[in-house]
Amino acid sequence: MSTFTSPSANGKNGTTNRTMNGTKNGTKNRARHGSGNTRTTEAARRPRLSGMTWLVWRQHRAAFWTILAATVLCVAWMVYQRGQLMDFLDSYGFPAKNLDDAGKRFDPYIGAFSSVTTGLTAIPVILGVLLGAPLLAGDLENGTAKLIAAQSVSRNRWLATKLALTGLVVVVSTVTLSAVFAWWWNPIKLDYVDIDWSSREFFNTTGPVPVALSLLCVFGGVLIGVILRRTLVAMVVTLGFAVAVQTVWGYFKLSLGDIVTATTKPVSPGTPITFPSSVPRTAHVLDTSYVSGSGKHFDLTTCTDTLSEAATTSCMKKADIVGASIDYIPISQMSSMQWLGASILFALTAGIVAFLFIWGRKRLV
Amino acid sequence: MSDFNYAGEPALEAHGLGMRYRRGWALQDCTFRLPAGRICGLVGPNGAGKTTLLNIAAHVLKPTQGSLSLFGEAPGSVESGRRTAFLAQEKPLFRRFTVAETLRLGRELNPGWDQRAAEDIVRAGNVPFDAKIGTLSGGQRTRVAVALAFGKRPDLLLLDEPMSDLDPVVRHELMGTLLSVAGERGTTVMMSTHVLAELENVCDFLIVVSGGGVRLAGDVDELMSVHTVVTGAREGEDLPAGLGYHTLVETRTSGRQFTALIRPEGPVTGPWGVTVPSMEELLLAYLRSPDAPPLITPTAHVQGQAFGTRTVAA
Repeated sequence: MSTFTSPSANGKNGTTNRTMNGTKNGTKNRARHGSGNTRTTEAARRPRLSGMTWLVWRQHRAAFWTILAATVLCVAWMVYQRGQLMDFLDSYGFPAKNLDDAGKRFDPYIGAFSSVTTGLTAIPVILGVLLGAPLLAGDLENGTAKLIAAQSVSRNRWLATKLALTGLVVVVSTVTLSAVFAWWWNPIKLDYVDIDWSSREFFNTTGPVPVALSLLCVFGGVLIGVILRRTLVAMVVTLGFAVAVQTVWGYFKLSLGDIVTATTKPVSPGTPITFPSSVPRTAHVLDTSYVSGSGKHFDLTTCTDTLSEAATTSCMKKADIVGASIDYIPISQMSSMQWLGASILFALTAGIVAFLFIWGRKRLV
Repeated sequence: MSDFNYAGEPALEAHGLGMRYRRGWALQDCTFRLPAGRICGLVGPNGAGKTTLLNIAAHVLKPTQGSLSLFGEAPGSVESGRRTAFLAQEKPLFRRFTVAETLRLGRELNPGWDQRAAEDIVRAGNVPFDAKIGTLSGGQRTRVAVALAFGKRPDLLLLDEPMSDLDPVVRHELMGTLLSVAGERGTTVMMSTHVLAELENVCDFLIVVSGGGVRLAGDVDELMSVHTVVTGAREGEDLPAGLGYHTLVETRTSGRQFTALIRPEGPVTGPWGVTVPSMEELLLAYLRSPDAPPLITPTAHVQGQAFGTRTVAA
């Protein structure tokens, strides 16, 4: 679809040049011809967009360039921060020395993560509201959809080009950010315990998740725009939609993984209970509980309201607590969970796009 | 009239066309044809259905009833999309595009684009090519929109109130361009307006819509020749009985005088002055009397159309 034509092979360009600088009408508009000339020679030096691709890029170029420029800035910042992090780790003596002992000296480097993740987690919402919602709602509101309908191209082509270019920009931006952020986090991923991999800040900003969330929010915004046909209203509704998507996603994302349960070997009731030691340090712990002789699970608050240690022991003995268990999801599942979740989001996005083509096409004037 | 003039393919044909909005019918049971190569004025009061009719032809709206065809093809087909250009009433353009970019839009999206014709129209109005559309005046914007429609080199040009925001000089100049371009290429033009003076000397075909239906359709010469303006003295309070043989479109009285626009059904005899109506007189008469029997002359008849209206002896 994105056809790049070299100017030498493109006769149209030559025609412009000729008529723009035609000797016939040359006297009246001398100054303008000058500027027209610079434009064509400038365009002649590089391959240029043509047809519908040109139109869509031209119409949305401010938004597209802003997104790409913001991506570049953000990448530059993350590369710089990673450099700082690596310098610290080298001077600290990581991985020989444990990061848990770094204490306050390591805080600024973790702080740098949290300031960036705030921005990254907002990307689907920002793109949905500022790029997705106005994409077609603007044309429907201003009547420019009618202008396009009056040209010799089909509505399908217009819709396809709009969605494809927008999708391309979103994918390029989010894939880059996701990859660079993961690269930044990677050195300490398996060693630094205070970062929870399943948290919104890290689960939603690495792997395919930011791409999938952004595409769903953007194309959802496009559909909302086609339904409402008013830019501002569509942006507000898309904001709600994008927030809802993130909320539902946050609620369901842990169910994408297989919960692993680690249980200690039973001891005789009344002896001190130890907790399972096979749980990886970076695992996301869902639940920790005591286990009774009959296999029943008890809260960790069991027997905590007793007055003396002896009373606690007898209480535990009475409750027949023989061990402890921990439910957790290891970090090794992160990638597969992200891909499973992202594929669901991609499927939803594909549904929205199909709906736009089948139903939305009729409303595109 | 025995020799039905079906010469040439019809540029536009409507069959029982109806369009219903939530408020009610905007257009109902419209059947007519517009032969290719004509400059057709689409006249009617505000809210008569002119814009609806043009929007259906431009594939912006889907009719509720009936069908419309452009050169035998449905609106929205590749072929009719290529052959038709539409200038919507609000003349939408991308406000942030420059004039040159707007023309490039036309060039990029239309295979038969005529850059020179489009540039000439823009240049005639001294509109700078590097100006952003948003900074242009209403008239200049209209000019660019017209250039975009003309540059497409359509076989059928649909214009919805094209000249409404132009001053008389520019209007005259653009009309001249329209006529010369259309004449050169044999373009069919269908142009809605409620400025009747705009139509004189421009149109050779007329369609009057009012109250959602076609009141009058046909070749201008033919329409003029079948109508007569009769002026005379009233007989008491009533119109002279002799007028009753003819189809009355509109009668007006002032004092003891009456003026009537009639479709003579035979020789007009009586002590009356008989003149040929001007186009404006004819149109005003039909616009003022929505109950007058509609007239669709043979050139505007769709082949095989049941003659719901009286046949005309021209």
